[in-house]
Amino acid sequence: MFFHITLERNMQLHPRHFGPHLREKLVAKLMKDVEGTCSGRHGFVVAITNVEDIGKGLIREGTGFVTFPVKYQCVAFRPFKGEILEAVVTMVNKMGFFAEAGPVQIFVSNHLIPDDMEFQSGDMPNYTTSDGSVKIQKDSEVRLKIIGTRVDATEIFCIGTIKDDFLGVINDPGAAS
Amino acid sequence: MGRGDEEEEYDEEEDEEEELEDEEEEDEGKVGRKRGRSQFIDDAAVEDEEEEEDEEEEEFGGDDRRGRRQRRRTGAEFFDLEAAVDSGDEEEEEEGEDDFINDAGADVPDEDEGRRVHRPSIMMQEDQEDVEEMERQVYERYAKSSHVEYGEDATDVEQQALLPSVKDPKLWMVKCAIGHERETAICLMQKSIDRSDLQIRSAIALDHLKNYIYVEAEKEAHVKEACKGLRNIYSSAKVMLVPIKEMTDVLSVESKTVDLSRDTWVRMKIGIYKGDLAKVVDVDNVRQKVIVKLIPRIDLQALANKLEGREVPKKKTFVPPPRFFNIDEAREMHIRVERRRDKDTGEYFEMVDGLMFKDGFLYKTMSIKSISSQNIQPTFDELEKFRKPGDDADGDLASLSTLFANRKKGHFMKGDAVIVVRGDLKNLMGWVEKVEDDTVHVRPKMSGLPKTLAFNEKELCKYFKPGDHVKVVSGVQEGATGMVVKVEGHVLIILSDTTKEDIRVFADHVVESSEITTGLTRIGDYELHDLVLLDNMSFGVIIRVESEAFQVLKGVPDRPEVVLVKLREIKSKIERRTSAKDRSNNLVSVKDVVRVIEGPCKGKQGPVEHIHKGILFIYDRHHLEHAGFICIKAQSCVIVGGSHGNNDRNGLDHFDSRFGGLRSSSQFLQSPRRLPPRGPPIDFGGRHRGGRGHDSLVNKCIKIKSGPLKGYRGRVKEVTGSLVRVELDSQMKIVTVKREDIADTASIATPFRESRYGMGSETPMHPSRTPLHPMQTPMRDPGATPLHDGMRTPMRAWAPMSPARDSWEDGNPATWGVSPQYQPATPPARPYEAPTPGSGWANTPGGYTESGTPRESSYGSAPSPYVPSTPGGQPMTPNSASYLPGTPGGQPMTPGNVGLDIMSPTIGEGEGNWFMPDILVNVQRPGEDSHVGVIRDVLMDGSCKVSLESAANKEIVTALPTELEVVRPKKSDKIKIMNGSLRGVTGKLIGIDGSDGIVKLDDTYEVKILDMVILAKLATQ
Repeated sequence: MFFHITLERNMQLHPRHFGPHLREKLVAKLMKDVEGTCSGRHGFVVAITNVEDIGKGLIREGTGFVTFPVKYQCVAFRPFKGEILEAVVTMVNKMGFFAEAGPVQIFVSNHLIPDDMEFQSGDMPNYTTSDGSVKIQKDSEVRLKIIGTRVDATEIFCIGTIKDDFLGVINDPGAAS
Repeated sequence: MGRGDEEEEYDEEEDEEEELEDEEEEDEGKVGRKRGRSQFIDDAAVEDEEEEEDEEEEEFGGDDRRGRRQRRRTGAEFFDLEAAVDSGDEEEEEEGEDDFINDAGADVPDEDEGRRVHRPSIMMQEDQEDVEEMERQVYERYAKSSHVEYGEDATDVEQQALLPSVKDPKLWMVKCAIGHERETAICLMQKSIDRSDLQIRSAIALDHLKNYIYVEAEKEAHVKEACKGLRNIYSSAKVMLVPIKEMTDVLSVESKTVDLSRDTWVRMKIGIYKGDLAKVVDVDNVRQKVIVKLIPRIDLQALANKLEGREVPKKKTFVPPPRFFNIDEAREMHIRVERRRDKDTGEYFEMVDGLMFKDGFLYKTMSIKSISSQNIQPTFDELEKFRKPGDDADGDLASLSTLFANRKKGHFMKGDAVIVVRGDLKNLMGWVEKVEDDTVHVRPKMSGLPKTLAFNEKELCKYFKPGDHVKVVSGVQEGATGMVVKVEGHVLIILSDTTKEDIRVFADHVVESSEITTGLTRIGDYELHDLVLLDNMSFGVIIRVESEAFQVLKGVPDRPEVVLVKLREIKSKIERRTSAKDRSNNLVSVKDVVRVIEGPCKGKQGPVEHIHKGILFIYDRHHLEHAGFICIKAQSCVIVGGSHGNNDRNGLDHFDSRFGGLRSSSQFLQSPRRLPPRGPPIDFGGRHRGGRGHDSLVNKCIKIKSGPLKGYRGRVKEVTGSLVRVELDSQMKIVTVKREDIADTASIATPFRESRYGMGSETPMHPSRTPLHPMQTPMRDPGATPLHDGMRTPMRAWAPMSPARDSWEDGNPATWGVSPQYQPATPPARPYEAPTPGSGWANTPGGYTESGTPRESSYGSAPSPYVPSTPGGQPMTPNSASYLPGTPGGQPMTPGNVGLDIMSPTIGEGEGNWFMPDILVNVQRPGEDSHVGVIRDVLMDGSCKVSLESAANKEIVTALPTELEVVRPKKSDKIKIMNGSLRGVTGKLIGIDGSDGIVKLDDTYEVKILDMVILAKLATQ
């Protein structure tokens, strides 16, 4: 799920950036530092939309660095248990398949793939129904339900299932070609 | 009653018995026996003998006697009351016994006064006392027993009172002939019956104790006396006292609660099935037999041979692997398979040679003693094998019961989600509220039920939902964490956090936890993902830590090789931070992101975790096998993005890149200043051509090949006559060694580091263009220009530097594009040119670009950082201030230098070159075919004189180490060892084992196992 939230952060800026473009530098650094990071509470910070406020800088003795408290708005993406997501399959193996929904990696174990789908190894490993009508392979788009999440320091890892109504392949560019 | 009376009575009794005996002779056997038995009744009181006794009484008449009889009868009646339960079959047994004793007694009486022989009593020790005494005693005994009966809740103290004390007779252990324990005991009994003077109280033979009997007596001497003359007791045998404390143990029956029931898991104790898991199918408690279901270990071939009567010499050690029995297979081998119905169970079995099979399993009747039923923890694999499709539910229950038996205490905790697995409330879910010993109070999930329900622990099982994050707390997978993917009854399938693999565990072994661990992550000094040197000189990365061993992905490129090693098999951790060169000769250091461009792992990409001997270990999180690690040759990779080492730099604007540019140029500036004390500047260009005197050694990466410091690598700091001062790579110190003790490892990138040392302190030294120009002169020196060999290295060394300067500003792709690293053809100076026209040295490459190909131009620019740095830090005071000897990377003084230390141990590069004379090499020069040649001489700078085999005149060429490739020896080739303590030794390759070669040394005939990498094929002379 996406959120638009306001966060705060203390930015340290090197003295060499002091000058007329200080503000821009600060924002650039903020974006560089924050976008793409992940926290357990807020999930992935996707983009900074607005910098609300830059507080007064505080010069650190010794280093000359200046610390600015920065308040910014950002779009955050956090997957939840039970959430339904659409994701792109990135890898298929006999244990299941991995899919990505933006920065989130989701693993769908073969136990959570409908029983009528069988793993087919080969050049392009895939899961195929017995009648061959549905195929999950790399680059397929699937709709899945998240059943568990694990938050690491740098990423959120999810386990999903497609063993439910209305879940599964929604678009398969690979099959069309 | 006095003693005299007793005597009298005995006499009378004797008479009586004599009479009886007479009668016996007359009567038929049965009656006689019964009468004989009547003697016994006094003691054992068998109810149905009563009538007979009455008859006897009538027969004997006599008032006196009758009176006595009466008295005796009172005793008998008492027994009747108390012990009326004696059953018929027991009687029969006793009759038999009586018979025996009677017979035995029959011979003795005459010789032996035989007074008591006619009282065939079971309680022989009491035979010295008269009947009344006995009666009294028996009475007492029974009284006591009844007391015990009533006082069921007798306290421990009371029980304690019954234990033997010091006042009681002691128990002695006597050794006797093996297998004759019972006999000996009976002999002793008999003896004590026969001889009144024996002062032993009892003799005991225990069934489970071979070779010993126990004798109860007051003194050791009594025992000895009793044992004297018995043939089953050796006269020399020692008599051992059983300590009072242990006396009770001797006679207490160990109540082994063998709780064998159907469907329990057991393990075989003996035979070829020893240790195998089996499932109990049927229990026969009477005959102490069980029928178990096993996975047969049958050697069909052997069976066939046996059935056909062929004699085949048996291989003793061979135990056939467990495999399901297949009738068709058996038939193919002409083994007759009968189908028979078991008469007890009514089930059909396949019979082969007396063995029963069903569904592929072997059904075997075993004695209860030969199976063990305690502490069976079947592993999943084993259970899996036993599981047949379709019977999962039953199988689960069975294993469940076994599991429960092994549950730890305090298994359930408040808040655990549980499910009821047995009883009326089966499948009820709830949460644990309270645990009291075996009782667990559960708050049910269903509404409308009481607030809490009490369950026995055994009726409950933990319950998890898919998606729960759990930790395994016991069992084989202990310590692992993961997410529940599927719940199958009480078995969970967990996706492990680390390996991304499925693991199956029992719900019982798991607790919910948010913790993320890899399970065990370290044993001893070694941790998961460490690069370790294995025993046999190979190396690898620990990819999994198991309870006692590591899984190591070996450093063998191209094919992943995983070995299981024990802690002791690991020699050491490899922590040196080396670097390697990728396909395009860019320097790769740890944490750089590389992409694999060839081989089976092509397309994989990830940061380099370890580098060793030119082999990279890449971590690709998308790679599922081997914990994401890929082992690959550095040469099969290309670096993606800038070298990470340099990316670490702190900075945000363009100025820095300019500084960077200036910084490096500043080195050029310094150099001329440093140089004078070293020699004429003219030397610059030629310095590294090699073979130019001692000084060419300076800054070389060398290896000490003999002396106390043998094996160390280092960099030459100074050469003074025959002595060389070497800065050791491993120890941060400078040592002086003899010139002849060192071997040049021909590291070509050597000067590179030197140039870096300077940088920290040089930062403020901004361009003064002037000194630069003189520099160009030597570089244009005709001697220098053609010398690509000397130049090449700096090019490489230089290349990663450039992105360092440019790349820290990630956002600017333009900078990337121009960076020489990516477009080697671009005159490297361009990026610098723009920001600082003043830096001036841009002109230099300019000059070169004119001179030829872009490639050369990149060479051309290269020498600039390269040459001047040679003299190192020594002469330069300001420089050496910043330079800590031996500290790689010079402990960056300015933030700008932070990333550099990674690069420093360039020595690693040199490791590929261990060339030595007489070995066969492939010479691959650009634009030429490869030739096989023999190294004739190794020059100081590492280049080699190679005589080409193919050329008719054995043309001798000088080739760079990079152009040479050692010819990998084949089996039984003559080889030369290029590295390690045996460097230079020749031998013969007698076998190849993976990455290791088995080498027989020529001079010592020793057989060594060495890494193939250090073996080179020896040229056949």
